[in-house]
Amino acid sequence: MLSLLIFLPIAAAILILILPSRFEKVFKHICLGVSIIQFLLSLFIYLNFNSGTSAAGISNAGQYQLTEKLPWIRLDLGSIGKLEIDYFLGIDGLSMPFLLLSALVMFVATIASWEIKTNLRAYYPLFLLLNTAVIGVFCALDFFLFYIFYELMLLPLYFLIGMWGGVRREYAAIKFFLYTLFGSVFMLLVIIGLYFSVTDPTSGNHTFNMILMMDPANYLDGSIFSAIANQELFGISARLLAFIVLFVAFAIKVPIVPLHTWLPDAHVEAPTPVSIILAGLLLKVGGYGILRICYSIFPDAAIQSSWWIGLIGMVSILYGALNALAQTDLKRMIAYSSVSHMGFVLLGIASATTEGVSGAMYQMISHGALSAMLFFLVGMIYNRVHDREISSFRGLSELMPQFSAFVMIAFFASLGLPGFSAFIAEAFSLIGAFTSVYLPEWMAIGGSVGILLSAAYFLWTLQRMFFGQIRLKGGEEWKTTLYDANIREKIALLPLAALALLLGIFPSLLFDKMNASVLAFVQLITG
Amino acid sequence: MPVSDIQIFLVLPVVVLPLISFLFIFAGKKLNTENLALFHISVSFLLSLYLFSAIWDKQTFHIQWSWFSVGGTEFKAGILLNNLSVLMMVLVSGIATLVHVYSRVYMKGDPNIHKYWAYLGLFCFSMLSLVISDSLLLIYLFWELVGFSSYLLIGFWYTRDSAARASKKAFIMNRIGDLGFLTGIMIIYQQFHTLDLTLLFAENGFMQTSFIQNAMWVSDTSGMPEIWLTIAGAVFFLGAMAKSAQFPLHTWLPDAMEGPTSVSSLIHAATMVAAGVFLIARIYPVFNPQVLNMMVITGTITAFMAATIALTQNDIKRILAYSTISQLGFMIMALGIGAYSESIFHLSTHAFFKCLLFLAAGAVIHEMHHHRDKLGLDFDFQDIRRMGGLRKRMPLACISMCIASAALIGLPLTSGFLSKDAMLIKTFEWASEQVGILKIVPYLMLLSSALTAFYISRLIFKVFFAKPDVISSPVISAAKDAPKQMTYVLLILAFLSTFLPFSLNPLSYEVSWLWSGFRSVESTQAGFYHQLIPVIVNAISMLLIILAYLMYVNGKYSRLASGEGLLFRVSSGEWYLNQFYSFTFVKSVEKLAELSWRIDRYVIDSIVLSTAAVVRNISDFSRWTDKNIVDGAVNGSGAMVSKAGSIFRMLQSGRLQHYLLSILLILLTFLILTFFI
Repeated sequence: MLSLLIFLPIAAAILILILPSRFEKVFKHICLGVSIIQFLLSLFIYLNFNSGTSAAGISNAGQYQLTEKLPWIRLDLGSIGKLEIDYFLGIDGLSMPFLLLSALVMFVATIASWEIKTNLRAYYPLFLLLNTAVIGVFCALDFFLFYIFYELMLLPLYFLIGMWGGVRREYAAIKFFLYTLFGSVFMLLVIIGLYFSVTDPTSGNHTFNMILMMDPANYLDGSIFSAIANQELFGISARLLAFIVLFVAFAIKVPIVPLHTWLPDAHVEAPTPVSIILAGLLLKVGGYGILRICYSIFPDAAIQSSWWIGLIGMVSILYGALNALAQTDLKRMIAYSSVSHMGFVLLGIASATTEGVSGAMYQMISHGALSAMLFFLVGMIYNRVHDREISSFRGLSELMPQFSAFVMIAFFASLGLPGFSAFIAEAFSLIGAFTSVYLPEWMAIGGSVGILLSAAYFLWTLQRMFFGQIRLKGGEEWKTTLYDANIREKIALLPLAALALLLGIFPSLLFDKMNASVLAFVQLITG
Repeated sequence: MPVSDIQIFLVLPVVVLPLISFLFIFAGKKLNTENLALFHISVSFLLSLYLFSAIWDKQTFHIQWSWFSVGGTEFKAGILLNNLSVLMMVLVSGIATLVHVYSRVYMKGDPNIHKYWAYLGLFCFSMLSLVISDSLLLIYLFWELVGFSSYLLIGFWYTRDSAARASKKAFIMNRIGDLGFLTGIMIIYQQFHTLDLTLLFAENGFMQTSFIQNAMWVSDTSGMPEIWLTIAGAVFFLGAMAKSAQFPLHTWLPDAMEGPTSVSSLIHAATMVAAGVFLIARIYPVFNPQVLNMMVITGTITAFMAATIALTQNDIKRILAYSTISQLGFMIMALGIGAYSESIFHLSTHAFFKCLLFLAAGAVIHEMHHHRDKLGLDFDFQDIRRMGGLRKRMPLACISMCIASAALIGLPLTSGFLSKDAMLIKTFEWASEQVGILKIVPYLMLLSSALTAFYISRLIFKVFFAKPDVISSPVISAAKDAPKQMTYVLLILAFLSTFLPFSLNPLSYEVSWLWSGFRSVESTQAGFYHQLIPVIVNAISMLLIILAYLMYVNGKYSRLASGEGLLFRVSSGEWYLNQFYSFTFVKSVEKLAELSWRIDRYVIDSIVLSTAAVVRNISDFSRWTDKNIVDGAVNGSGAMVSKAGSIFRMLQSGRLQHYLLSILLILLTFLILTFFI
């Protein structure tokens, strides 16, 4: 089932590569078909998902659902032992919601790809490859496999930004690439270290199995990452160091302040569909990695670092919001708002409470839908007049009432209006942070100031761009080019708005599916 | 007491019907929207009346459903009906119904009229749900939604820049209060692990059984340092302050007058702004004496400040807005001194007469605006200096407005007489037990009450009795009373502003059913203040009304009214608070935002870029060695090796990632060598 989900896009990509060019018009339809099938499959998975405590997953391999485990690489390395890499997939309450989100965001991104007019034969296979990689990351339970998917995401993104992006696309692409590569190179070191520390109790071989890495009993005596041996590297505990390295690798993706400056540049230069995927899914890979890997494998080091992670979360919330307030480019403003909103994820995770972790998970799903919506909306306006400066527009709601209605929904949902998903997410992240024994109360209160600032930058933008008398930089000419939302665009926007609303009113749709896993997770990290 | 199931089906439509009008219109229905909206809200009102009769002083109705659970904690959603909520329900739906009727004429011809009905529906839904919610989380949810619908309605004429700005300001200032509310929720949740109102605040609820011991605030499940109890009260109060426009968070309300007058009447005078008072009343046990004293001080300052500002404003709606702020200050102060029932009583009477004041003002504005545009004149149609002499032209508006003003002043035979004097009496009783600065509270309130008499008389006399202005006199002579539908609404509200709906005895609030519905303890010191206060208040008021008449109708003492002097300027400048906020807060946040953007650009980014530059230099260097040293050696070797070398060179094409890879391999070797071999 999961393999089908992962490799369907690859199959479609191959199909596109071998089809003759006269079929170029249907590439987007193939791509759209793939995402619809994926959506239906993941909806099916969602509906049949076992949310009982006996299927919580986390550190218990037997409790994962839809597992697929095949021996993949077995290489005799002589004295070091046998290299054991499995093709091991499975999902629990922490990963299942992301499957649904991925399918939805990919669907919207595909619709946004209608604007892409050049070099389609390269574009769609790369796009589908990215799709495979993202879903693979969320399903992989073998660290090696995870790493492969994780790195596989970089490649298509680099080319998608570098080839279809804006004026400074190469600068942005390189910056993005270097930042994330910096993170993943060191991650590989930790993976190797973990490999040599952990053995599979059944076969006695070293293993990349993530779930086995979560159990301290599987660590070799005296190995570098063994909790009992408490080895030191460069003067600090090796486990703490490894945690920090992994955390930095994933946190670059989230992103955190001060490792975030790739994000605004990448967004501003990326074409709309890539922005949607970047904000909607890639950032979530970071948050997911922190939960699944950093926290689950190094819970002791994680708890030790709670204070700092909470602080980073709070600073990201405030700093991102302040930066958003200062922007004059609409897309950059939204990019910074992503930094701010993802700060809630860190704050929630750092709390190590069920409320906080649930809030963080909720925020990732909610932000996935909302940021996709926001970037799609920016793309709509950019596509019409090739301008995104806030000051170039005024009184848009007279001119484009439906578009403005969607903007209002997206803005108010993002600023945490109750009734939309972000409210539940932010409220519980903050409640978790407040009640946490690892974080001081002022962090939650500081974080809540971010909610105020988000109201400020979103409403200010609304006031400047959408209200007042119509006044456009492009004058009369723009009045005709700025047509209202068309059917294709509404098809993309409606499901996102509906999801945000649905999750805002019925939080149990998501909480029920992940409660067991969140409880097990908190149990694992707090002991 | 067990309640039959049938009532659930009566309660839900009360809130859901207005929502249905919103959804219908939002989904695209544009015809007959005014009838749809009116029908829904009237049914809602009738059901509220029925529920009121079933529940008032008889029983409490509480029903809950599981909403969602987080981890192991269940969050419930439910409906809690007691005296307070059914009273608010009737108030909100009743006034909303009247405003709907009024708006049919008032808003006629507006191109976006269907949106108006939709937003009103959303507002009624949120407000009614707010008053029946049974948990803090739900109240918070609807609390923000009323703020949102108020945002939509203030900015209803969004093409006006001032309206767009005012709506933003209202939402953001309310958000400041919301942060307080949210913080309060966090504290309560940490302490009691539930947000259910009944569990928390009922008799012997968690709140009552928690206690202070060794500077710790202890509950069944956990404990926090004592200070958090005070903080919890203070932050909840902060929430109430923003919504009920208390000093220093009141500046959004006068600006909110950018919305249609009917909206100002419903939302920014009668119902939504009372939500803060409602919240305090709903969670009353959470407030400890320190916080209650904060309320007294805030309420007193607010009442006084707003009354002084109202003295000199010339925009008719702005005067009424400041009057609302001042009256809300009275209510908050009353809650602070423990005069719970008096405060709620005043909330109810104020809702009617302030609603009437706004609607009557709306009728006047409507006429002024209409005839001004017809005659092609140019002046501010909301400026009371341009009005005058409207008594003969609009007699019904004049009469109803006079009744409402009398209620506001607290003249006998009006509802305001009962509720306002009740509060003042309580204040004097309370102050007799206080020491220090709090002793001056009742005198300041007395002063505010006197100022009230003056500013509202000034308004009435200027609008209805004074000689019309030269510029606007053609407009005045063309004006006439509003169409029937509007006038009926005014007359109904005028009746509701008299003592009759509230008490059989026009002179004693103690026989009022409404007041007794919330009374918890017998008043002990009745007697002395009871006789004296009403007499004093009314004597002062009468004097000031006469003074206002002489000043504004007969034109005497013109030096006083001329606008000279520092005090006058402070008052007409609204205490310069807007300028102060814009200078201190808005500007500094903007500066901070600018600064963090610079840091991002010039500090963080430049660190990243210079790191990249260093790496690039290293790789340039290694390319150089590659070419000149390694390659040289390779070339010196045999052809086979040379070929391998060229493959190697191809790999090392100067691409950064390859160099990082080689660094990685070296580190890897190092790691393996150190630990495994």
